[in-house]
Amino acid sequence: MSLLKEPDLGTPAKPGPATVSLEVDGLPVTVPEGTSVMRAAALSGIDVPKLCATDSLEAFGSCRLCLVEIDGRRGTPASCTTPVAEGMRVSTQTPKLEKLRQGVMELYISDHPLDCLTCSANGDCELQDMSGAVGLRQVRYGYDGANHLDEKTDTSNPYFDFDASKCISCSRCVRACGEVQGTFALTIEGRGFESKVSAGGTDFMSSECVSCGACVQACPTATLQEKSVIQLGMPSRSVITTCAYCGVGCSFKAELRGNELVRMVPYKDGGANEGHSCVKGRFAFGYASHPDRVLTPMVRESITDEWQPVDWDTAILFTAAKLRDIQSRHGVGAIGGITSSRTTNEEVYVVQKMIRAAFGNNNVDTCARVCHSPTGYGLKQTFGTSAGTQDFRSVAKSDVIMVIGANPTDGHPVFASRMKRRLREGAKLIVIDPRRIDLVRSPHIEAQHHLQLAPGTNVAIVNAMAHVVLTEGLVDRSFVDERCEDFDDWAAFIARPENSPEAVEELTGVPAEEVRQAARLFATGGNGAIYYGLGVTEHSQGSTMVMGMANLAMATGNIGREGVGVNPLRGQNNVQGSCDMGSFPHELPGYRHVSDDVVRGVFENMWGSTLQAEPGLRIPNMFDAAIEGSFRALYVQGEDIAQSDPNIKHVHAALKALELVVVQDLFLNETAKFAHVFLPGTSFLEKDGTFTNAERRINRVRPVMAPRTGKHEWQIVAEIAQAMGYPMQYGHPSEIMDEIAALTPTFAGVSFATLDKLGSVQWPCNENAPEGTPIMHMDGFVRGRGRFVQTPFVPTRERSTRKYPLILTTGRILSQYNVGAQTRRTANVAWHPEDVLEIHPHDAEVRGINDGDEVVLTSRVGETSLRAVLADRMPVGVVYTTFHHPVTGANVVTTENSDWATNCPEYKVTAVQVGLRTAPKPVEELQTAMAAE
Amino acid sequence: MTTIYVPRDSAALSLGADEVAAKLRQAAGDRPIQIIRNGSHGMLWLEPLVEVVTERGRIGYGPVEPEAVDDLVAAGLFDGADHELCQGVVADLPWLKDQTRLCFARVGVTDPLDPDDYVAHGGLAGLRKALEKTPEEVVAEVTDSGLRGRGGAGFPAGIKWKTVAGTPGPLKFICCNADEGDSGTFADRMLMEGDPFTLIEGMAIAAYAVGASEGYIYIRSEYPDAVRTMREAIAVARDQGWIGEKAGHRFDLHVRVGAGAYICGEETAMLESLEGKRGMVRAKPPIPAITGLFGKPTVVNNVLTLASVPAILAGGAAAYQELGVERSRGTQVFQLAGNVARGGIFETAFGMTLEKLIHTYGGGTRTGRPVRAVQVGGPLGAYLPADGLDLPMEYEAFAAAGAMLGHGGVVVFDDTVDMGAMARFAMEFCAEESCGKCTPCRVGAVRGVEVIDKIRAGQDPDDNLALLGDLCELMTEGSLCAMGGLTPMPVRSALLHFADDFGPGSPNGGGHR
Amino acid sequence: MSPQIRMINDIAVQFQHQAPDAAAAAIAEHIRAFWDPRMRAELMRRVDSEPEMLDPIALAAARLLTTG
Repeated sequence: MSLLKEPDLGTPAKPGPATVSLEVDGLPVTVPEGTSVMRAAALSGIDVPKLCATDSLEAFGSCRLCLVEIDGRRGTPASCTTPVAEGMRVSTQTPKLEKLRQGVMELYISDHPLDCLTCSANGDCELQDMSGAVGLRQVRYGYDGANHLDEKTDTSNPYFDFDASKCISCSRCVRACGEVQGTFALTIEGRGFESKVSAGGTDFMSSECVSCGACVQACPTATLQEKSVIQLGMPSRSVITTCAYCGVGCSFKAELRGNELVRMVPYKDGGANEGHSCVKGRFAFGYASHPDRVLTPMVRESITDEWQPVDWDTAILFTAAKLRDIQSRHGVGAIGGITSSRTTNEEVYVVQKMIRAAFGNNNVDTCARVCHSPTGYGLKQTFGTSAGTQDFRSVAKSDVIMVIGANPTDGHPVFASRMKRRLREGAKLIVIDPRRIDLVRSPHIEAQHHLQLAPGTNVAIVNAMAHVVLTEGLVDRSFVDERCEDFDDWAAFIARPENSPEAVEELTGVPAEEVRQAARLFATGGNGAIYYGLGVTEHSQGSTMVMGMANLAMATGNIGREGVGVNPLRGQNNVQGSCDMGSFPHELPGYRHVSDDVVRGVFENMWGSTLQAEPGLRIPNMFDAAIEGSFRALYVQGEDIAQSDPNIKHVHAALKALELVVVQDLFLNETAKFAHVFLPGTSFLEKDGTFTNAERRINRVRPVMAPRTGKHEWQIVAEIAQAMGYPMQYGHPSEIMDEIAALTPTFAGVSFATLDKLGSVQWPCNENAPEGTPIMHMDGFVRGRGRFVQTPFVPTRERSTRKYPLILTTGRILSQYNVGAQTRRTANVAWHPEDVLEIHPHDAEVRGINDGDEVVLTSRVGETSLRAVLADRMPVGVVYTTFHHPVTGANVVTTENSDWATNCPEYKVTAVQVGLRTAPKPVEELQTAMAAE
Repeated sequence: MTTIYVPRDSAALSLGADEVAAKLRQAAGDRPIQIIRNGSHGMLWLEPLVEVVTERGRIGYGPVEPEAVDDLVAAGLFDGADHELCQGVVADLPWLKDQTRLCFARVGVTDPLDPDDYVAHGGLAGLRKALEKTPEEVVAEVTDSGLRGRGGAGFPAGIKWKTVAGTPGPLKFICCNADEGDSGTFADRMLMEGDPFTLIEGMAIAAYAVGASEGYIYIRSEYPDAVRTMREAIAVARDQGWIGEKAGHRFDLHVRVGAGAYICGEETAMLESLEGKRGMVRAKPPIPAITGLFGKPTVVNNVLTLASVPAILAGGAAAYQELGVERSRGTQVFQLAGNVARGGIFETAFGMTLEKLIHTYGGGTRTGRPVRAVQVGGPLGAYLPADGLDLPMEYEAFAAAGAMLGHGGVVVFDDTVDMGAMARFAMEFCAEESCGKCTPCRVGAVRGVEVIDKIRAGQDPDDNLALLGDLCELMTEGSLCAMGGLTPMPVRSALLHFADDFGPGSPNGGGHR
Repeated sequence: MSPQIRMINDIAVQFQHQAPDAAAAAIAEHIRAFWDPRMRAELMRRVDSEPEMLDPIALAAARLLTTG
């Protein structure tokens, strides 16, 4: 339920070429075969009363309000479960139907509280609407019969209540939990009149519920309702915008009462999510109004000084003067900046423009460096473009889904739900991951193959799979011959015995036969799609692995149509966009190298500035150069490098060495401890611009309120550039997008007007594809022919040793987001109050560690302390943690190792030792020490 | 060697048949006897019915209580001597002789688990005939026989099979509905306990006809003996190569046990239950023949439907089709129960009147009082008044009388019955057993009880009778399945024929008794 | 070990499967495309002062950088 009513056609669309023509109440209508009578009626403008039907769920047929009469058929079939037939003549309004519908509503209301006027769903309740629609005037049964009015309310979930007294047993919540979300946490308990919705016999919070909100969304009454609506009242206006958490990029209706955000409701027309959501996007928006938000600019001369709140002009002049001063003393290249994947395309664009045009160098990088930079490199080398090949919808056409180094049910939950739906329909699943992630075995899903490899051996596995495909004659020769190049050299390489599953079995720990079977399945099982995450990229061979997957996809012909492809699951809401916008030191917007004179000329012309033809520093290079002394000032937009980057001691040393650190963020984060200027940023609720998600979909981010800081982030940047003497002026963010479009061929057709008209577009969007490009490389690769690249497996330098016998790998959890700056400031902490170390019971036992013990985690670069959780989803010899809480300091132990091509850190492999903690917690010591300095 | 038959049917067991068998063995002393545990012939007033094989035939004694064994043996039971409990040659008893036993031909006659006995009495003839034909010919044979579903709905079995046969797919199922939950019905149980091979043979024929490779028999948990017998029989059948890996055609069979929900006798709820889910009714379409168990094409038939198939194949469609009347062809296995003098199984061609069945064969009420009402077709069947029993037992005649034949259960009441209470019970039963999915059934049944209570208490009787009428219409027209849809049938028939029982001052009703 | 040497060695090992000349050329091209000039300058200083720290292919690539 939500304020902005979106049309509900009652049952899902049944796509298909064949159509059927019928008459509903005398109106002719033609619909796809298999469509329900209810949907056909709705499409012809006739709303048949309904309660249990909604078009996000399969027809259920339980409420019996939607009965109709059909010429030549007996009785009164339910229109939701009756498919259309050629020539059918349907009547939706007859005296008989009216009487039956009133009878149904009379029964419902005889067991429902009569508190409409004081009910929190008043005005937003389908039961109320239907009573009106059928003309219910009396309840002859009275109200003294058996009823559920004394049922208790379950308030255990921090975001929504379940008031069983208002439940009409329509099962929409139960079905949404299964069909839409795929968690199956809810069920109907009891039988007949005793039927009631149950979270598996316990309360919602103790159940399997993942708090995605699908049940709340589906509930037609006040039974499942947001606590915020109960507390604040029904919202009065609605703004369609885009979630600012992960790279799925869900569309939401932000619903407000006055200027107060009451709730976020997933938007059915959202191309990425089509009406679904997760606990973060749906509920965890409270950080935007958290008291920790800094709303005033602050400066200080030294990081040991107190912060001084100042006005914007002072802060901007202070910053500009310092930057210019440092450049005058240490050279043009002594300063640089980091763009944020959390901000809009427009905000990113202006930062890189400021750096290239006003700073006059290419020292710009983005947090994609530490996550998906290998994706950019690897896919560009092989396919010619630095992005995933498919739209999310494509997965519905996949027959074999291979998930590598990704944990979609936690990291990309809304896409995971789509994937799980397809898997429940029978698609086959191959999971390649050291951990037994939830997807391997979840309700109605079981992976055909889980290749539980040793961390760091991805390339060996993908090569072995390709070896099987090649040597067993499973290559799609016509695809390869028509569409690809360099195949023969690659084939000679991959056919080498050292790439066989048998040869790498000992190294990877995966039985050769299992690899062979998985490879055969992928090559022969129909449409094969690869989805991957940071478990692929954050390795010393991350780029190699991306190319290895691209090779496998090309060799099996799985590129260039629906249901196939190579698809990165992007971490941040706008990591795709920040890369697109020219955030890498070697690339101008649109992934064009700075050394390309023609391209640079176009930008120089537009920007009125001379641009450097040499690449600038990448983030780790900035740290190295800071310690070495040639790099003196850093502008950081919305990224907490002091917590999220590896080998924190090294990062902290670099930050301390800088003369000027400018932090633009919502909160005083860990990096701000090293900063001299703090420029308060805006939350997504205040932003006006666009985000680009993992499927290249450009979505509008619309402001639901004015910037609480008094200034948009793009304005701050423009004013600093101006203060540095470079003219940069925009009246509105749409002008920034117009400039991007003018400079970037793949964005040529993008404008706010286009986005507002189409809802969203997927780039490339230009005259060849005015409405965007859902699937890439359809008629040919962007680079012409797909290139096979030889991908030798080179093990990481990081090895387990006697001193550090275990391998640490890291990841995320559903309820928390990255460094937790946002989610820790919401009720999501109820699910994940601290980071824990998952360890196999065997590894724990030999160390005398019990479940819940405090343990010390040590690597060659540092140590930290956290609580151990025994988990047999871990293989022996591998431990796992998350990095959501700064106190954990997971990155205290991660090393300087990085991807050879892009310097993406090797977060996923660190040799460690784990032992029971006896001494005081080292992180506390570390922090005490830091505070003392 | 003297051969004695002592039934293993649970009706006989509940009356001490095991003890009778033990006593007989004891009493035989040195005399060589063999005791065969057969099914029940279905003359329940004679159970335990002990039979002795003599030159004259099988001489029956019954009902034999364990205490009477010694006396009977002393009187010469082993030689078929006369006794007050002696019924003479069982096969010659009019009750049996007047029946046309096709489905139940071997029940009570053979050792249920002896494959040789089965074959010796005509078993497997149907399957052998079937395998000589093409699957299409088998479907046609069943269609031509006029066989309709014996579970209650009476849908032509051949048409259902044809749909399944015509729906392409590598995996199809035969599901046998043995969740015999209707009051006054026990034929499924007696067949499974007395001649399980017939059901197996029927399912194997169905599987061959539609191209199914797996079968499930869904038996209610209240039938532990039937479950045991059926499982043993399946093991024997596999051993014999009638089904399973050794069989010529690919088909195997499994027993699944319900968990006590009446609604799981509804075919789609049964499929849900077989899939391991809550027994919840599915909306149709899609029909199970196309989208059935685990979404695959599935034949769902009742025990008696499937068990009629071997006889049809063995004797030919024409012979079967010659029996019966109108559009009700072949035989139906009627079950006489309730307040009746002689209860049990009576298999006869469609068309006999209810009157004749109850009075001629059932012998009227057990109490000796006049019959007042008869409920046919289970708890959702209509109540027929004593003066309305001259009704031929066939589907359409019953439908025309506002009643239904259902699964063939006949429950007799004498003149002390309170029909207001019976109407209330119908609603109460529905409230108790509703799956809870659709509103008319879930809420309506509860309100139905309340409204009848108000009527019986004399509270606004006219308004509440009108309301009850509307509710019955809503449940009939609006319910998702037959559970809610048929509940009004006993209510309305009670109101129609016994309206006096609903008033506070009525002789039998109004809580005055 | 200096970051530049660590990094070029990391790159070099990825090209071991190629012929030495081709590998050196590919490595040099990669470094030209992705390294800031001051990193290349630091690398060249290291090449002069501690060439033994470099993988032979890396060394060959570094030498190409000066000429190319």
